Amino acid sequence: MANKLRLPTMIREIASSLLKRPFTRKYPKVKVAVPEGFRGRHILYTERCISCGLCERDCPANAIKMVETADKRLPVFYLDLCIFCFQCADSCPRNAIEPSTLFEMASTKKEELILKPKVLISSYKNLLKGDDKNDA
Amino acid sequence: MTTAEEAVSLLKNKLGSKVIEFETPKPRRAYVLMKSGYHRDAISLLLEKFDETGVSTITGTDLGSEIELNYHIRCRGPVITIKNRVPKEKPEIMTITDLMPGAALYEREVFDLLGVVFQGHPDLKRLVLSDDWPEGSYPLRKDWDPQILEESVHNPNERSSIVNGGEIEGATSSVVTVVMGPQHPALHEPERFSFKIDGEVVVDVEPRLGYVHRGIEKAAERLMFFQDVYLVERICGICNAAHTVCFSQAVESIGNTETPSRARYLRTIVHELNRIHSHLLLLGVAGLELGYEPLFQYVWRDREPVLDTIEVITGNRILTAFNTIGGVRRDLKPGIPEKIKRTMNRLKKKMKFYKNVFEEDPTVRLRTKEVGILKPSSAKKLCVVGPVARGSGISMDIRRDDAYAAYDEIPFNVVTYKDCDSWARLMVRVEEIVESIDIINYALDHIPGGPYRVKVPRRQPEGEAVSRVEAPRGELIHYVKSDGSAYPYRVKVRSPTLANIISFREIIRGSYVADIPAALISLDPCFSCTDRMTFVDVNNGRKWHWNLSDIKRLKKRS
Amino acid sequence: MPIDLFFFLRVLVFPGFVFLLAFSLFCDWFERKVRARMQNRMGPSYTGPMGLLQPIADYIKLLTKEDIIPAQATRLLFTVAPVLAVSLFVFTFYYIPIDGLNIIPNSSFEGDLILVLVLITIAEFTMFLSGWSSTNPYSGIGATRVLTQFLGYDIPLIVFAIGPAFLSGSLSISTIATKQTLPFVALTPWTFILMVITLQAELGKDPFDIPHAETEIVAGYTTEFSGRKLAFIEIAKDIQVVLGAALVTVLFLGGPYGPVLFGSSAVWYTFWFIVKVLAVIFLLEYVGSVAARLRIDQVVRANWRLMMPISLLALALTIVCEPLLGPLIG
Repeated sequence: MANKLRLPTMIREIASSLLKRPFTRKYPKVKVAVPEGFRGRHILYTERCISCGLCERDCPANAIKMVETADKRLPVFYLDLCIFCFQCADSCPRNAIEPSTLFEMASTKKEELILKPKVLISSYKNLLKGDDKNDA
Repeated sequence: MTTAEEAVSLLKNKLGSKVIEFETPKPRRAYVLMKSGYHRDAISLLLEKFDETGVSTITGTDLGSEIELNYHIRCRGPVITIKNRVPKEKPEIMTITDLMPGAALYEREVFDLLGVVFQGHPDLKRLVLSDDWPEGSYPLRKDWDPQILEESVHNPNERSSIVNGGEIEGATSSVVTVVMGPQHPALHEPERFSFKIDGEVVVDVEPRLGYVHRGIEKAAERLMFFQDVYLVERICGICNAAHTVCFSQAVESIGNTETPSRARYLRTIVHELNRIHSHLLLLGVAGLELGYEPLFQYVWRDREPVLDTIEVITGNRILTAFNTIGGVRRDLKPGIPEKIKRTMNRLKKKMKFYKNVFEEDPTVRLRTKEVGILKPSSAKKLCVVGPVARGSGISMDIRRDDAYAAYDEIPFNVVTYKDCDSWARLMVRVEEIVESIDIINYALDHIPGGPYRVKVPRRQPEGEAVSRVEAPRGELIHYVKSDGSAYPYRVKVRSPTLANIISFREIIRGSYVADIPAALISLDPCFSCTDRMTFVDVNNGRKWHWNLSDIKRLKKRS
Repeated sequence: MPIDLFFFLRVLVFPGFVFLLAFSLFCDWFERKVRARMQNRMGPSYTGPMGLLQPIADYIKLLTKEDIIPAQATRLLFTVAPVLAVSLFVFTFYYIPIDGLNIIPNSSFEGDLILVLVLITIAEFTMFLSGWSSTNPYSGIGATRVLTQFLGYDIPLIVFAIGPAFLSGSLSISTIATKQTLPFVALTPWTFILMVITLQAELGKDPFDIPHAETEIVAGYTTEFSGRKLAFIEIAKDIQVVLGAALVTVLFLGGPYGPVLFGSSAVWYTFWFIVKVLAVIFLLEYVGSVAARLRIDQVVRANWRLMMPISLLALALTIVCEPLLGPLIG
């Protein structure tokens, strides 16, 4: 019935799409930059941390645990429980937690998803170098 | 437009002694406690005196020895909450479905989760919990213990009338029952529809909800108020900003916090961006359901800049985590408003193209015109909300009637169409996107300076509040009750799809089977919003035990 | 009788079975790439250069999956129907001149156009049977819809096919192809366009996508198939598309005959054949992309109230114009 009538808008649009560059990109060969302020993986500034434990108390997902390390108590982030809301960053009285733009955190082992203090210090330094691997 | 004061004085005049106590904390909110059993008189009085009255939802709260039932009646702008208390040992109350058929599902929900029996209800069955949930176990009661799930015995051979999709019974009669779901490619979320079909015509349908029931209302009682914002956000991914705005407003209302002006404008901007992305999502999905794949790909391609804008403002594309109690969590960085305006203006040009497609494309019109008719009278009786109501000519929009955030200072139009069919409902959404773009541009031009957040104490004073917002799918209502601690006493969420799903029966009766997807998608069903109640998702005996122990394992670890 | 190696090579390798299979897979890739570009996205890009190996990857994946036969299905029919569908489609191809001659040389005869049309119908019927034998309600509904649509639109298809036969005065496909010094699309363009639209319905493409409409009836008649049998059905569908395009090519675009620039004519004829078939597939995809899916009752109404009368009118027009066009035919 109606397939005989003219369909000007869509016909033209589909024909012109053939000549345009595709909108999709060939990930992972091509990567898109993420805006700053993106809530990616946590960065912990251990020198600023005062071990108050507010981040552990306020986390809605119970994803932070304070652990004893060599100098002081520091938070450990369980990324598989974390919902990346960064309430911990809001609650921290010394701004010791910040989001980074890292988001490629998928891994095959659960252990890799636990951000321990040593990891956080070293991975912060790696961030400055531009390395985005989740090394334990 | 009526105010709450007028409604309460009317009730006092006519029903005098039956009113025990009342409160009008805000111009458009009233809480009236009636003598037990007289709720029907109050509701019928409100119905006949004020037009555009409907029931928003019914909340049940366990007060210890009594169960309090709150009937939230909306009279266009104000919300009058009629309270009624029943003793816990014998929780019975008269139904209101003869006055308002739209209350049917809400009464079933309270029956399911709190055990209140509504006498006279035409079809009082379970709504959200599974069919093999143990009898007598009511999760929302304060004395409910999850241990009871472990102990009850489940016989997997004892199957009730749950069928696995695709069985056709009654082959001898001309009317066959075809079950669609819970797993079906046409549905984006699990729900079971039992269609009674005569040839190619649908005679009746019965939806069964509850497949993504997660226990959010009960879980919300275990988290502090500001943590609950994140929980409430995850009720629905698509309309998450609306949930956070609604909840934050409710808690701010309880604590009498004055949200700063800049925060209200920022909330509006993200709220409208959320609406745009949700409507674009639906238009694309509607195209897919109609078999028009290029339309789907184009609309979702044009949705990407909107998500990128949301990412720049809030830090994530979908789950924004932008609102908190007392304001918003981030400010707009300098230079961002110009970028937003550019993206919005580009999108506005594209929307002209899509409006053209939906209005003029012959195949789209063939599939959606005269399909799924919902007459205005049925729409009013069934208390439908959002674009479903506006597509049937009913002009209701909470942003105008019950203004919140910055909407009392921003001019905009409410879009209605008189055609009452699926096409009208889709067109309403197309034009609402353009309206939202205008709202965002206006807000960016007029945003005031000042703080974007005020500090709010962890404990909230005793009190209760009802908060409504216009989510992309319609009226979203949150009811929060605080007992003076840092944890809420009761959180009740009624999302718009629950209000609209009851109209599906009206819409589909008498239509062809082939029209089912087109009609269903115009309702914009979002079932993750619809079912959000108690803990465990029950499928069959063995699997569900696994779920519970798995959760316990997680609990032990953290 | 001496067994000819040449004969076997022609039947099995080129332009026989292996070539047909490879060509169908290539056309599948082409179809997907064209459809993707019309939707402003990439299409297959990761497996092989430009995604050329994607169809092969899909079939290999299907072959590694478990092959389940539902307990209530009719075993014999369920197992045999997909294989039968593939064989019939491939066999039909043996009457289309690909490199200037039929695959089995000198096997064309007067009336092989009718044989081809009949075989296409029977092959589609086996696809219906495959759905019917699954005894699944979704498969049943899908199968009946396929049959309704296919049988309905088969009649206009045959009427349109008569047009070129009439113009060239013969019912043999090879003769129709050779007689087109000027392709019939230039002489009777109305029949070409209408045949393309009817072909959309035959092949189950948008806007006549109902049999494959997954949003309504899961996967239609292929619901219960998995593993090897599903691979056969998918190959049958692909070959069906190429067969439809090839039929239109020989009837309207002059088949494989085109200018031979240098070297062997067989190579050039194959080249022109491939180019023309790809052009027809492009047209099919384009027509499919600009329309949404019609309901089954709209499809049936469109057939009996529009397509049938129009097909007869088109044929009448062709017959009336024949004296004028006579001199242009070779």
